[in-house]
Amino acid sequence: MQHVFAMMLQPDPYQASQPLYADNVSMWRHMSGALHQSLYRVVTLLTTILPGVLAFIVSLCVFTAIGMVLSALLRRLLVAARFDDRFARSHGSVAWAPSSSLSDSIARISFWASVLLGLIIGVSAFDAAYATAAAPSSSFLPYFTRIVGAVFLLVAGTLIARFLARSVLIGAVNEQLQYARFLSLGVKWLVLVLTSAMVLDHLQIGGLVVELAFGILFGGIVLTLALAIGLGSRDLVSRSLESHAERSNERSAAPMASPVPGSADPILHI
Amino acid sequence: MATTDSISDIAAPSVRSSAGLLVLLSDMPQEQFRDILAKLTASFETEDLIIAGPELLQTDSDPALRMVRAAATNGSWILNAADFVNAYQLAVKNEAHGILILGPESHSLGSSALGGLASAVLTGSTDLAVPRYELQPHARLITSAILYPLTRALFGSRVRFPLALDLGLSLRMAERLAVAAHRFNTLNQDDALLWPVNEAAVAGFTINQLDVGPRAQPQGIGNELNTILPQVTGSLFSDIEAKAAFWQRSRPLQTVADLHSPFTPAPPGPSFEAAAEIVPMLQAFRLAYTNLQEIWQLVLPPSSLVGLKRISATDGAGFRMPDGLWVRIVYDFLLAHRLRTINRGHLLGAMIPLYLAWVASHLNIVSSGTEPELHIESVAAAFEADKTYLVSRWRWPDRFNP
Repeated sequence: MQHVFAMMLQPDPYQASQPLYADNVSMWRHMSGALHQSLYRVVTLLTTILPGVLAFIVSLCVFTAIGMVLSALLRRLLVAARFDDRFARSHGSVAWAPSSSLSDSIARISFWASVLLGLIIGVSAFDAAYATAAAPSSSFLPYFTRIVGAVFLLVAGTLIARFLARSVLIGAVNEQLQYARFLSLGVKWLVLVLTSAMVLDHLQIGGLVVELAFGILFGGIVLTLALAIGLGSRDLVSRSLESHAERSNERSAAPMASPVPGSADPILHI
Repeated sequence: MATTDSISDIAAPSVRSSAGLLVLLSDMPQEQFRDILAKLTASFETEDLIIAGPELLQTDSDPALRMVRAAATNGSWILNAADFVNAYQLAVKNEAHGILILGPESHSLGSSALGGLASAVLTGSTDLAVPRYELQPHARLITSAILYPLTRALFGSRVRFPLALDLGLSLRMAERLAVAAHRFNTLNQDDALLWPVNEAAVAGFTINQLDVGPRAQPQGIGNELNTILPQVTGSLFSDIEAKAAFWQRSRPLQTVADLHSPFTPAPPGPSFEAAAEIVPMLQAFRLAYTNLQEIWQLVLPPSSLVGLKRISATDGAGFRMPDGLWVRIVYDFLLAHRLRTINRGHLLGAMIPLYLAWVASHLNIVSSGTEPELHIESVAAAFEADKTYLVSRWRWPDRFNP
């Protein structure tokens, strides 16, 4: 132990013999070397990734072009075969049918499927290039698929929220509930909050914080709705329910007929 | 009404190879059945009749009367696809020359009405015999507001009740309806509605309208306005869409023969205290006006929205919906149904408050002394006059529409 301390207290003969400017040059050389090495690594990485990027762009462009050709061919083929007419004859008009014709929808689906395929192949090529370049093979593709999944979740959630909000609004208005818009907004935000939480969870962002925040927010909205309906609009709800019950009784007594007091002339809608 | 399967003859059909008239009855009590049978046998020989119904109907009349049975009904009081398929199959099987379909409560029709409907199709001069009921002034308002004016404007038919509960069909008319109905049956939509007047108009068949007098209304189950308006209107809109190639061509209004005396509107009943019914209808319309703007904006052009804003400010007895505005509303909803601007269920649901506004306006007009039929005829005329708007927007829906 004493020997160690003695060694430490002894002045370094090499350091003592070097002048100050020699230290600066050495430091500059080290720094320069580090910079060069870093630059070399980055350039090497870029040159390794560049083919992947180019492959991504080429793949996307090629498959987009293929999609366009395929879509145009399918559209022409289906129109020539009178596919829409045949389908309408055999299946009739269905409520869930899209706004555009079925042949248009098929053509569009084929186009976007091609684009998606190009995207997947491109990303796969990029991921392979990146993985070989980077020392720790970071998996870009899985996270990209998560992003795609999250986008789908977001779109689906927004559509469902809008659909449910409209359904509730129209149904409540036709039942003559005064708080129809409030109900509709409540349902819309419930679905949107649920969607947001699902998207963040899918992206693995926030972790437990998102779950907690979602629970608090969702519960808050439900509690607000319950309090508003149960306490704030107590009189309104009771009046509404009473009038609804009266209407139901009248309907069950005479379906489709709305008898007018003092008149033998009821209103019949059909 | 009867459904298509499980048909079994009670009497042996081999006894007689053919008969004149097949009468397809809905599910009804024995007393009503005997009543109808008595009325029919007053006009026809028993040998000429084949009675078909869902129940084993018993009769103490002529044992020579042929009866066939169909399967249990689905409880619907409107004639649907299964009824037409069933009627045609039974008619072919029993070699009938004409078909008389009678809905629930048809025992309230007179014997001359039943005889008239049947004779019209048996003589061969008529393919479709449609009754014209004598109803109370405030009955069948969906028919008056939407079904009749649209059918008249687009298919050129003056048939007052396109959704009649009773019909007389020639064999070729029944065949055409069965073919149309078969499409729904294959999709397992037996309860889908068919529009015989539209089918006959497209096929160029002869339609006759018979003044049959008063008729009792069936007491339907679950026939709330919120259900029935989307169901009936949606079905008609789909039928109009399917027959677009026909009605887009301009053609004169068909002369529909009234085989009985010309229609005389029912005498005005006791003083109709409309206010009691109008107030909740107007409340429903105003509530919808404040809440459904965002949906109406997707369907209606600005001019119609301005019109709605104007009438929403009117109160009580002064409330009127101009015929032109109502025509545009119906046409724009028909276009939105075709273009699927929004979900069809939402679309037809959003139409209910507007229909209630029309009913309130109609009741106000009637209570002010105008004959109900006069107002309905003027509405139908407005639909005819504005048909060019529908045709134009049907062909070029993206064209600027202020």
